[in-house]
Amino acid sequence: MSLVWCSMSELALRQLDNELWEIPIGSVPGMRVPGRLFADAELLAAIERDHSLEQLGNVATLPGIVEASLAMPDIHQGYGFPVGGVAATEEPDGVVSPGGVGYDINCGVRLLALPLDVDALGARREPLVHELSRRVPVGAGGRGAREGVAGADLARVLSLGPRALLEDLGIGTEADLELTESGGRLPEADPAAVSARARERGASQIGTLGSGNHFLELQAVERIYDAAAAAAFGLEPGQVTVLIHSGSRGLGHQVCTDFVKRMDAKLAGYGIRLPDRQLSCAPIGSPDGQAYLAAMAAAANFAWANRAAIADRVRHGVARVLGVATARETRQVYDVAHNVAKLEEHGARRLCVHRKGATRAFPPRHPEIPAAYREVGQPVFIPGSMGTASYVLTGREGSMRRSFGTTCHGAGRRQSRTAVRKSVDGAALRRQLEADGIVVRAVSSRGLAEEAPQAYKDVDNVVAVVERAGLAARVARLRPIGVVKG
Amino acid sequence: MYRWAEHTAEVELQIEAHSEREVFADALAALTDLLGGPRAAGDAAPVRRTVTVPPEPVLDCPPAGPRRDRAALLAGWLEELVFLGESEGFVATGLADADLRPDGLSATVEGVLGAPPPLVKAVTLHGLMFEPGGPGYVARVVLDV
Repeated sequence: MSLVWCSMSELALRQLDNELWEIPIGSVPGMRVPGRLFADAELLAAIERDHSLEQLGNVATLPGIVEASLAMPDIHQGYGFPVGGVAATEEPDGVVSPGGVGYDINCGVRLLALPLDVDALGARREPLVHELSRRVPVGAGGRGAREGVAGADLARVLSLGPRALLEDLGIGTEADLELTESGGRLPEADPAAVSARARERGASQIGTLGSGNHFLELQAVERIYDAAAAAAFGLEPGQVTVLIHSGSRGLGHQVCTDFVKRMDAKLAGYGIRLPDRQLSCAPIGSPDGQAYLAAMAAAANFAWANRAAIADRVRHGVARVLGVATARETRQVYDVAHNVAKLEEHGARRLCVHRKGATRAFPPRHPEIPAAYREVGQPVFIPGSMGTASYVLTGREGSMRRSFGTTCHGAGRRQSRTAVRKSVDGAALRRQLEADGIVVRAVSSRGLAEEAPQAYKDVDNVVAVVERAGLAARVARLRPIGVVKG
Repeated sequence: MYRWAEHTAEVELQIEAHSEREVFADALAALTDLLGGPRAAGDAAPVRRTVTVPPEPVLDCPPAGPRRDRAALLAGWLEELVFLGESEGFVATGLADADLRPDGLSATVEGVLGAPPPLVKAVTLHGLMFEPGGPGYVARVVLDV
């Protein structure tokens, strides 16, 4: 492959193959490994408009980072790490960075499949969306955010994740746990590592959606690409699904805040210099690194419990509108995280893989995939923007060779909230979405405008890149028919 | 004086002020503006809150000591105001009193209790800045929204 050089975002990129670009070592002072980006020409044009490539280079300065600082095609500018970034670090020098996970620890998506198709749903679509919006509280903090499930034992949730809700309150099923990444529990969790303020912020938020880009979407399976995988996942053309996008709420935000500050204050003691304070970090094996991993795991368990509680509220909404039998047969397809750091085996190495706006995508026959899906690969859900489409993918072999078992997590923003508000009227957008057959329930028109489809890259393009790169393959395309926005 | 700068996913606050105290007052005003101002509280009666930065030590976090880190102090100030908004619906409307020390800040904040919109998740250290410049001091903070 010949090297093609071009100037992007003031950094020189060279093209390694049709979907992979590289920022060479030296492009940003202190880089220990190159930066590598999966993209095509159209996505590159959008990516170069912000500072995401500089942030990709900054991540390459982290002590102990191996192979490359990686970015998925949905990359956009974040704080410290770019959103859509992947960094794997290795002991003895390797660090763990709370900013490499982000404030919304274990933000992720859960897909539920209903036992009926969109034609059978018929005129009950709007009442169902309305019922879901009534039952699932939205917003971060303040009114509407303190309507979490009653009676949850927070310490057990932090230790056990959704299993605590199942055992204590009868929320969810054993099958739900089986069909959740890591079984919905990171065993390294230690509730004692979570600060009192973090507990206070999260205590009443289990089962609440949150604001920003969090949502709950009613969808219909529009197209099947891989019949065998779709059959394994229980998806058929026309089938109604519900996609839940939420995370660890105020608890996770506070855990990240606590540890970014703690590590920032101790960087000099570890002899670490960084180009951005938000990259603050500590050696994986240090007391600070271990404490963060224990707190982060607790927050991740909390997030899985949060999505489990939301799913339970969805099932109750389904029962009210479509009947108890339909609710009972509403099955969880899978639940996958896209903001987390995990200790994983890659080759002969044990690595700390940071995924910030990136999704684990293990290929067929990987031992961590649930038995029901092991022959087809791990399910991955890629939400598009409101009004476009979402995808169900499966992990592919290329992800293990090229991206530490990782693929993209969404469409990726391309316009700032300010910019999109200048060009989009929230009320008009609501009317347009409804004219397109999408029932909308949103707290504010401002929030709706900020998440307008034009604020995001083309999800079809993003998914096509990861498929051509061999990281994941398309299984199904889902079109929205209703949305509840935080 | 403050302004909101473009950022793809988050919001970036930029401040120019004549004094350090004014930077903190401007940051309060900016956050209040972002959260919808006193309108978010309707006609609620005014209340006051005492804000101390840094707050009580968090877990194993070392005490700040005499280190003069105004940028971290500014981030901590905004964190406390965001937390008050999230935990009790406090909407700050003004800075009644401020004791700005080399290692911290104690302030009395005027405000009202209401239901501010839930916009800010966290205050980041990304690109954090607080240094002499402009009319006296310039500062920058990126908020995760």
